[in-house]
Amino acid sequence: MKVKTLLSLVVTAALIYALNRSWNFGKPIPPLGKFLDPFHGFWKNAENKVPPVVTLKGLRNEVSIIYDSTLIPHIYAATEEDLFFAQGFVTASHRLWQMELQTHAAAGRVSEILGPATLDFDRGQRRLGMVYGAKNSLSEMEKDPVLKTVTEKYAEGINAYIASLDYERLPFEYKLLDYTPEPWTPLKSALLLKYMAKTLNLSEKDFEMTNALKLFGRETLELLYPDNEHVGDPIVDNPTGWKFSPVSLDSDSASAEALVKITPMEKSSPEIGSNNWAVAGSKTATGSPILCNDPHLELNLPSIWYIVHLSAPGYNSMGASLPGAPTVISGFNDSIAWGETNAQRDLVDWYKVQFEDNTKSKYLSDGNWRPTRKEIEKIDIKGKESFYDTVVYTHHGPVTYDESYHGKSEKNHFAFRWIAHDPSKELLAFYLLNKGKNHSDYLKALDNYSSPAQNFVFASTNGDIAMRIQGKYPVRRKDEGRFVLDGSKTSTEWRAFIPNEQNVMYKNPARGFVSSANQYPADDNYPYYITAEHYEAYRNRRINQRLSEMSKITPQDMMHLQADNYNLKAAENLPTWISMLDVSKLNTAEKKAYEKLKAWDFINSVDAEGASYFEAWTRVLVPMIWDEIDSARVTLPRPTYYTTFKLVREKPELNFFDITSTPEKETATDVVRKSFTAGVKMIEKWREDTKKEPMWADFKDSYIQHLARLEPLSYHVRHGGNGNIINAHSKRNGPSWRMVVSLEKSGVKAWGVYPGGQSGNPGSPFYHNMIDVWAADHYFNLHFNTAKNQSLPFSMISQTIKAK
Amino acid sequence: MKFLYQTVATIIGCFAVQYFLPWWTMAIIAFAFGYLFQNKGVVSFTSGFIGVGLLWFLVAYQIDAASHSILTEKINRIFPLNVFILTVIVGGLVGGFAALTGSLMNEKRVSKYY
Repeated sequence: MKVKTLLSLVVTAALIYALNRSWNFGKPIPPLGKFLDPFHGFWKNAENKVPPVVTLKGLRNEVSIIYDSTLIPHIYAATEEDLFFAQGFVTASHRLWQMELQTHAAAGRVSEILGPATLDFDRGQRRLGMVYGAKNSLSEMEKDPVLKTVTEKYAEGINAYIASLDYERLPFEYKLLDYTPEPWTPLKSALLLKYMAKTLNLSEKDFEMTNALKLFGRETLELLYPDNEHVGDPIVDNPTGWKFSPVSLDSDSASAEALVKITPMEKSSPEIGSNNWAVAGSKTATGSPILCNDPHLELNLPSIWYIVHLSAPGYNSMGASLPGAPTVISGFNDSIAWGETNAQRDLVDWYKVQFEDNTKSKYLSDGNWRPTRKEIEKIDIKGKESFYDTVVYTHHGPVTYDESYHGKSEKNHFAFRWIAHDPSKELLAFYLLNKGKNHSDYLKALDNYSSPAQNFVFASTNGDIAMRIQGKYPVRRKDEGRFVLDGSKTSTEWRAFIPNEQNVMYKNPARGFVSSANQYPADDNYPYYITAEHYEAYRNRRINQRLSEMSKITPQDMMHLQADNYNLKAAENLPTWISMLDVSKLNTAEKKAYEKLKAWDFINSVDAEGASYFEAWTRVLVPMIWDEIDSARVTLPRPTYYTTFKLVREKPELNFFDITSTPEKETATDVVRKSFTAGVKMIEKWREDTKKEPMWADFKDSYIQHLARLEPLSYHVRHGGNGNIINAHSKRNGPSWRMVVSLEKSGVKAWGVYPGGQSGNPGSPFYHNMIDVWAADHYFNLHFNTAKNQSLPFSMISQTIKAK
Repeated sequence: MKFLYQTVATIIGCFAVQYFLPWWTMAIIAFAFGYLFQNKGVVSFTSGFIGVGLLWFLVAYQIDAASHSILTEKINRIFPLNVFILTVIVGGLVGGFAALTGSLMNEKRVSKYY
């Protein structure tokens, strides 16, 4: 062979090799030949063909799926086994990549897909014992024959879909990031629920509070961080209702007193929360109850929710499901409806652990050296060698923070005790809610629910409405849970749990409605000590005020209330702040801002400029007040907005209003004035940069981000609202699902919407089709029925799954 | 004329195998037609490049048009280069070099004796 022939052959072979594998030149590059091939590559993901008939192994009978015009699947099966198999198959058909990514994230396995940037996150997940908690839950689930079947059939359905994939049909993100899905297991469903528990029930500030107590003393601590801000109505206000003898503990809960120097992991945003309420028939136009729910979570694509209608003999429910978990999570059936908001409660403790020596093989407990257990965590990293981390387990839980993780100058070790580590079977609660017929079924279902603790709202076609704050709650002594605890004494540990029937709940209150918006749970007569990282102070007051005023309520009224943009935080504080300004000294821009703010009606609507000025003002004011907290050499907690602004109004001479970096001594009036000037500058700068007027929706610039953080797959949304407003849409967090259910005896009617689309495929028109509808505060009709032929009139695509 | 025949043959052949088989099988077809048609190196390369490049363009275009560019416009913002151009270059280069290799392996020797 001639040299040039050989050369040409080598070039051809090298090209094929190079284009058949992924590369990383600072930016990851997919295997371009495979990826760009229009016969099998990414182009194919723009064709969204749903095969009319598929034949799968694992089904007993044929299953029919009718997709309506929103791509909501209505699944009709002959048995529950087939139903959950089909739920797994259908959900995976539209959301597989997301389902796997989220469970990888839960398990601390993101680095194997995205590379070294996420190593710290992965280590954190391992050190929080996410897999440990999921395995504990799984073994409990497997003991229950129903749950075992439900989770296994769901996994089988997902695996049937995975088995049907070739490169051509692989979801887009797998092609782009060049990997393939692994088989689904029930453990992954358990991991997903732990991931939700981490988002919702990991909030604590024990290290920060320990430092605050040490630095500020008790009096200041109670002023800045009260357990109960006593604002608005508690979720359940039932002072004469607690007719039980509470569990009491005699031992004290001693707390460790040294300063803590670790850097805690990133916490969930305080904007994560939710609204739910139910109004009794006495307040509605039809005489039937109406139930509403809107969980506020980080808004991403593909969306956290997937709407399904599940129908089999003895089972007929519809609503929002979590891709990766069987059943409907927030939804309804032909008799009842239910929905959740997060129950704010401290369910985490940190125990200071004393090891015998550097080997960390033994630790002190009641004067004895107890052996530890060590887990070696292997973290695979794309394009790099694996990272090994040793996580030491005590009987409390994993030692999360030590000298190798977020605690370089910290000589102490902290073991992590978390309710979500305990065996639990919350899926059984959802399964039973899906099948529930009345209030007592709802109560029985919730007896199986441990974590993450939620405020479960309920309404039924019988006319009942109810609220129950359900979770597994340790019986706490006063102050227990607020500070780091001494891990060497078992007397400081959780000794008992509040019996389910003593949890906060009530039914059909006289006011004609129940509601929750992450506020303080119970009136002062509730006999157990309650503490939490924070409570929401504004949304609940607005909701309760509006619901009290309203009568002859229609579902449309409820939709308007979910979209309510009234900014109570501004209404409560802005007049005071404005009165503190020295109007004679304002420059032109400040004068204009002043006028806009004075004229503003406290509604955070899309075009409200006053809302932008108020937001800018707040963004500067809060860090200016808490400068000594933010700049401290140890981590300290920031007081809530409510407490902060109350201090501005009521204690303007407080030392904290002094700005430490200036020689003079400031008061609340000074910081309000200085922050106004800086806030106006922020807006002026924004105006210069964007060449736009500061309308609220533009200034806020809400963003719904693709889970791989790819900008071209993400969307900016113009929408009103903000944190602490019923329409809780801030820049990144907001109502991730909105549902209104009218429980009419003649037939349940329901509406729902979420900021995303039923398809997780960026090449599908259903990837983001609901965003604009949601941002316009409109809803889709959720076609609920009992039989397949009732779905046919609105069928867009139908699919039959045949048993092999 | 032979250039055109080779190009058309490459398009049809590659379409047929690629419909079922992985992307790189088109290189085998482009190579085979390069070998059979005995065009000069440059001609064969161009024929392979245009054959595969055009085929990939047309198939991609058909999907793009049918889906109203729903995915194409997103991918265009992920990659620094227009994805149609990228597709044609990647397909074309592999097709071109494969065809070149084929023609070089079966060069006409007769011409030397004229």
